[in-house]
Amino acid sequence: MSERVKTSMGATAAALDYDAELMLRVKEGDGASFGVLLDKHRSSVVHFLYRMIQNHAVAEELAQEVFLRVYRSRSTYEPTAKFTTWLFRIATHLALNSLRDGKKERSQERLDDDSTDLPVRQLSDSRPSVEQAMVYQARLEEVRRAVAGLPEKQRAAVLMHKYEEMEYSQIAKVLNCSESAVKSLLFRAYETLRARLAHMA
Amino acid sequence: MTKCPMETREQTELLLAYSAGRLSRDVAAGLEQHMEGCAACREFAQGQQKVWQALEFWEETPVSADFDRRLYRRIEERTGWWDRVLLPLRPMLVRRGLPIAAAAGLVVMAGVLLDRPAAPVLPSQPPPAQVVEVTQPEQVEHALDDLEMLSEFNDLVTPDTPDPSKI
Repeated sequence: MSERVKTSMGATAAALDYDAELMLRVKEGDGASFGVLLDKHRSSVVHFLYRMIQNHAVAEELAQEVFLRVYRSRSTYEPTAKFTTWLFRIATHLALNSLRDGKKERSQERLDDDSTDLPVRQLSDSRPSVEQAMVYQARLEEVRRAVAGLPEKQRAAVLMHKYEEMEYSQIAKVLNCSESAVKSLLFRAYETLRARLAHMA
Repeated sequence: MTKCPMETREQTELLLAYSAGRLSRDVAAGLEQHMEGCAACREFAQGQQKVWQALEFWEETPVSADFDRRLYRRIEERTGWWDRVLLPLRPMLVRRGLPIAAAAGLVVMAGVLLDRPAAPVLPSQPPPAQVVEVTQPEQVEHALDDLEMLSEFNDLVTPDTPDPSKI
């Protein structure tokens, strides 16, 4: 890292996270650092979007747009928050827009369609029986339906809380609301999920 | 624990964190002790743990193998050519940008000062147009009349003077 970054922005970035430092390097023209960020967050962004949209192809398209926006914003990037907060803010914004643009219908079609575009998960037994596979698919479908049934913001909050292990404060920044609003969103979302999924375990 | 987490919504987050396994060992132990005598908290925690387990069932699936290739192609398509040209030079420009900009500024200023013209050359004005008096016939006639009158007056004043026309 150059001296300029260390002296002018490094202190702020270091106080935030390593990702922000990487992004500052991208800002300086270091393409390799962008590759590191992509490697690190590609999977979580794609899966967050997939669980939001419930369409794998659309989720990947949106994830591409997320990273494209990150790259294009590099020159104006300032490490004022955690990098993942910024990243998931972009992802959530795109996901909510996509859902509101009517793509929700497509995801609903996907849910209603028994066929799935996802690779079938391999159970711990390398050769699961047909019955095991069917039980797994049925349970997965139930979870997907339960999550899809949540209002958009509740869904985003649950996904960030459960799968990204984000703190309330970070979720609040991503969703641009107060921490107490996030707690309220999560409380209501988990209440709904408890009613829908409690019988599963 | 003195207050039941179920009594206030704010306290419920403690149970959510417990169900997610995100509480410190001491706090979790205190909560477990409370739940032994609190059926509401116990029921809430059990239900939440079931939800947690159900959500864990939804595992991540592989991202397409060509995700990066598609992304970089898209970046290339949507990034301006000047950006691509400047990208390899950006570190140098950022590090040395200020000195280079200052040097360039000095060169430009020196050039302007040295190349300044001594005096502005005004465009030469066209010569004033020659005034050609056009004498009208009436004016000539009046002039001849005046001359004749002056001649008559001269004859009256000096009768001895010979007429030059008669000399």
